[in-house]
Amino acid sequence: MSASPSFSPLVLLLITLITLFSSAFFAAAASPSLSPPRGKKILVLLDDIAVKSSHSLYFSSLSSRGYDLDFKLSGDPSASLRHYSHYLYDGLVLFCPSTERFGGSIDQAAILDFVDSGHDLIIAADANASDLIKEIATECGVDFDEDPSAMVVDHLSYAVSEYEGDHTLIVANDFIQADIILGNKKIEAPVLFQGIGHSINPANSLVFKVLSASHAAYSANPNAKLSAPPSLSGSAISLVSVMQARNNARVLISGSLSMFSNRFFRSSVQQYGATIRHQKAGNEQFLTEISKWIFHERGHLQAMNVRHNKAGEVDEPPMYRINDDLEYSVEIYEWSGTSWEPYVANDVQVQFYMMSPYVLKTLSADKKGVFSTSFKVPDVYGVFQFKVEYQKLGYTGLSLSKQIPVRPFRHNEYERFIPTAYPYYGAAFSMMAGFFLFTFVHLYNK
Amino acid sequence: MTRSDAQALIRSLRSAYAATPKNLKIIDLYLAFSVSSALIQVIYMAMVGSFPFNSFLSGVLSCVGTAVLAVCLRIQLNKENKEFKDLAPERAFADFVLCNLVLHLVIINFLG
Repeated sequence: MSASPSFSPLVLLLITLITLFSSAFFAAAASPSLSPPRGKKILVLLDDIAVKSSHSLYFSSLSSRGYDLDFKLSGDPSASLRHYSHYLYDGLVLFCPSTERFGGSIDQAAILDFVDSGHDLIIAADANASDLIKEIATECGVDFDEDPSAMVVDHLSYAVSEYEGDHTLIVANDFIQADIILGNKKIEAPVLFQGIGHSINPANSLVFKVLSASHAAYSANPNAKLSAPPSLSGSAISLVSVMQARNNARVLISGSLSMFSNRFFRSSVQQYGATIRHQKAGNEQFLTEISKWIFHERGHLQAMNVRHNKAGEVDEPPMYRINDDLEYSVEIYEWSGTSWEPYVANDVQVQFYMMSPYVLKTLSADKKGVFSTSFKVPDVYGVFQFKVEYQKLGYTGLSLSKQIPVRPFRHNEYERFIPTAYPYYGAAFSMMAGFFLFTFVHLYNK
Repeated sequence: MTRSDAQALIRSLRSAYAATPKNLKIIDLYLAFSVSSALIQVIYMAMVGSFPFNSFLSGVLSCVGTAVLAVCLRIQLNKENKEFKDLAPERAFADFVLCNLVLHLVIINFLG
């Protein structure tokens, strides 16, 4: 273009300025550019293809949130969780309680390896649960009743219906008190349950009961006379449990497949001895909310940008000195299901640790998700770590650690002219003066 | 021991001491100043605690060191001492001055 040679540089300048400003604006407005914590591909293994339609309400609640469900029969030889080191699915749902053997390359070891690699799992057992399913559950910390014909029976908490059943269809509302797992809305109606019960080891800090049976429940064969007191009884029986592994994989274990079914979702429920009849059982709300938690739509934390610096400076030093003032900050974000939001809490703590924590301080959060604090380096030198160990019920565990050495004073960094030592300074200088005077007196006396 | 015996003892000591030469008595005075300075510092440390311990050591050492050097000078200058009969008094004094210089250099360094 030969027209107006002084015009085109101006246009170029304008274009670069516009792109710079727009990119700066977008960078400031965006949250961290982290990817969602879990993918959306879920493999559902069924032992009866009719389950796909009899439990369609539950499956549609998952697919309406964007999950890509792949239904396969448990004996399907093409079913496979991984191809060499690449996992084909992000989550697994086992609605196949009576399966003795899986087809394809799936077996108990493959499923446990799937969980060990950080993926989530939902297992539903039922009255005729196979040993394979029970073994997988045992590996996840949950022990089903060994008696194959046992079911959970409750003569005081069963669901009232037109015919007098054997009281195995029970009503439960002993939920765990955790909004992060069960959602903010209280579950008004109790949950219908018909299946087997399990127990968890109370010493295990990774497993917890989400739905417990009432005090009158026990696990026994409903059709036979009891010859001995049942081994599992009372609220030690867990109907639905979850396990969050140390790699933050979440596993849901339920003793009843029928509690996921459309029949239970739509059914009205009235507990024996209660006056009100709820129009809709709490199954749908309970299971939808807990599935959200299992697939990391809630309660997933991500920490990034661990920074520390000396008070008043900006860059990270390679080493601190004892009695320095330093500031530490970390950014923690929480996945809200669709985006990363700043996490707000007042119980995240940082330790300044060398074999044991010398300093333990609670980080204060601002609204942008930056947790920060400042403290004085202790009067001990060595190699320390900034450790954040955050384990809160229902949230992923945060385990951050950053190593930093701490050196003692250099020889010219000690205190000078200490007031307590003034007499000693005075004595030393007076001795020097005395010596000087003495030489004169000694030489010139007489 | 009765009081008159003690008084007689002190009187005889004092008269014997009066016979010492004048320059030795000057050294004795210097020695008394030095030792009393060291004692004052020790009492101060006992009251206040030994926080800047190196300063305490430096102060006490300067007093004790000059006392030791003054004692050496007195021994070398005393005419009644057979051992140092042939030593020139100027040589003794020069040694005294040089040692004191080194001592005070070390003291100032360690004073902190």
